[in-house]
Amino acid sequence: MSNTPQPAPVAEERIELKARNVSFEWEKTPLHWIPGDPFTGHTINVLHLLLPAGERWFVHVYKQVLPYITDDRLREDVIGFIGQEAMHSAAHDDVLPHLKKLGLDPTPYTAQVDWLFEKLLGDRTLPPGRARQWWLMERVATIAAIEHYTAFLGNWILNAETLDRRGADPMMLDLLRWHGAEEVEHRSVAFELFMHVDGGYRRRVRTWATAFTALAFLWQRGARFFMDNDPTPTVGKASLGAFYRAGKKGMLPSTPSMLKSIPRYLSRTYHPSQEGSTAQAVAYLASSPGANGGR
Amino acid sequence: MRRATTFALAAGAALLTRRALRRRIAASPLWPMPALEEPVSGRGARRSTITLKLTVTERTEPAEGVVRLRLEALDGSELPSWEPGAHLDLVLPSGLVRQYSLCGDPADRASYTVATRLIEDGRGGSREVHEQLQEAVELSVRGPRNRFPLVAGTSYVFVAGGIGITPILPMLTAVEASGADWRLLYGGRSRATMPFLDEIEKLGGRVTVVPEDECGLPDLASFLTNSPSGAAVYCCGPDPLMDAVTAALGPGRTPHLERFAPGAAPAGAAFEVELRRSGRTLAVPADKSLLAAVREELPGVSYSCEQGFCGTCQQRVLEGEIDHRDELLTDAERDNSMLICVSRCLGKKLVLDL
Ligand SMILES: [Fe+2]
Ligand SMILES: [Fe+2]
Repeated sequence: MSNTPQPAPVAEERIELKARNVSFEWEKTPLHWIPGDPFTGHTINVLHLLLPAGERWFVHVYKQVLPYITDDRLREDVIGFIGQEAMHSAAHDDVLPHLKKLGLDPTPYTAQVDWLFEKLLGDRTLPPGRARQWWLMERVATIAAIEHYTAFLGNWILNAETLDRRGADPMMLDLLRWHGAEEVEHRSVAFELFMHVDGGYRRRVRTWATAFTALAFLWQRGARFFMDNDPTPTVGKASLGAFYRAGKKGMLPSTPSMLKSIPRYLSRTYHPSQEGSTAQAVAYLASSPGANGGR
Repeated sequence: MRRATTFALAAGAALLTRRALRRRIAASPLWPMPALEEPVSGRGARRSTITLKLTVTERTEPAEGVVRLRLEALDGSELPSWEPGAHLDLVLPSGLVRQYSLCGDPADRASYTVATRLIEDGRGGSREVHEQLQEAVELSVRGPRNRFPLVAGTSYVFVAGGIGITPILPMLTAVEASGADWRLLYGGRSRATMPFLDEIEKLGGRVTVVPEDECGLPDLASFLTNSPSGAAVYCCGPDPLMDAVTAALGPGRTPHLERFAPGAAPAGAAFEVELRRSGRTLAVPADKSLLAAVREELPGVSYSCEQGFCGTCQQRVLEGEIDHRDELLTDAERDNSMLICVSRCLGKKLVLDL
């Protein structure tokens, strides 16, 4: 064997992943759910634009990769992961009609995100064999890269006490934290799956670069879309400066912490278990009203 | 001089490009990406989240240990329509979700009526209904939904045990109005504990009431053999009663049953499933889910929650009558697809596109 450094998982008790049947009610959530700070609220709202289509796409891709998994434990994890992501997609999707009711119709943006995930990143008409497998592996690797960021954001939201202090809407916080906690809970699955079915380092770097660029593009356009279409005339414009300042106050992830997470994913010894705390995630899930109200 | 001109031209061009770009993005937020023709996101179609806000406007006790609630919209608006056999999901104040059959009049669009019996050693749902749901209490409700629909026919046999009369009651009114031939066997512990006796006895002489303290257990076998052999059989009540009806009918006939086992309830009648693309036909025994049976043949088939809410096991159905037991699919999706983790077959055979 070579002596290239290998991913180093951190030992932690393995927990069984299962989808939770959540329920949230949006009637009482205002458009500016962080009082007096529409920019931060809208920057976070971009999640509702991206995740319904994005996580539906995760499920679509993973259903195809199931037959490639030869490790029973990993297959179980992937099955649990699929159900969790399906519920994430549905729960964020439920926020969209409410935004429309509040006077901010998200459809112009979401219809384009739908195109991105259904068409551009969809199955395409590829002949069975190498081309089809290459495209499947490329997408599996892309999901692993995106999951690096969902886990990062999940860990952030679980610890974002500033939002509570600023009086953020409890229903929205619960949605974000239930989702964030499940992201932390299943943070190793996408990476382990990628390592199991492919694991190529060049592919990891390449797909990371694509995912990172795409996320930055989608987020910037999303925040701008919300700020430009907000029915309140005084909300102002989205800007990088506002993003940086909100990060400094703990209202959004800080720019330095985001920059620092880049080399971590590209390190040859990276393993998602090195970041975030399963215990914290599980504790939140045990007390989350949304995750326990469904049934 | 020439440098200044070049600079001014470049700056002007940059400004124009920026303006054009802005205009494009204002019209198309992810320009240059196109939009999907039929957008999927944000349609708000998820069944489990379409909730109604209702308030308890009347609470009565139609029998010992039974409360009947009349529910109306907070703003007095018209409620979604329903048909006999439908039920509501009540989101109780604690967050528990329980299903109760609608037992009022489908023509009354201003209110829903449900009735529940207090189950002392139950899982807490009925106790909460009895203790918390007083008049003027507000609650969320999902539905109505029907997995016990009345099929069109000319002859019906109903068997109800105790509180199991609730979905049957509106059916009786409907079949009586349609002029069909029908009979009912209604059993319970004692007359005092059996709700709606008055209403039912008013409907005519084809009703057999069997209170256990007076007459013992009902004689199912003779009741069923004395009824028309082509009649559709509907039964709701305790599990042993439904099992007894199934057994008494024999292998040739399947009763329509209403079970209120929430979440995973794989059990039901046995049936066959044909996996058309794989060219296999499998038996699905009564105590096994369709998913479990399919997985033995196709281990790569996708699924996750196994409780009918995540939707990853949805499969296309080519033939056969589906017994939908999930809480996710929309009515349109129900026409030709199912969640194989919880849903089953109403008849003898299903054909899946697998
Ligand atoms: Fe997720
Ligand atoms: Fe995830």
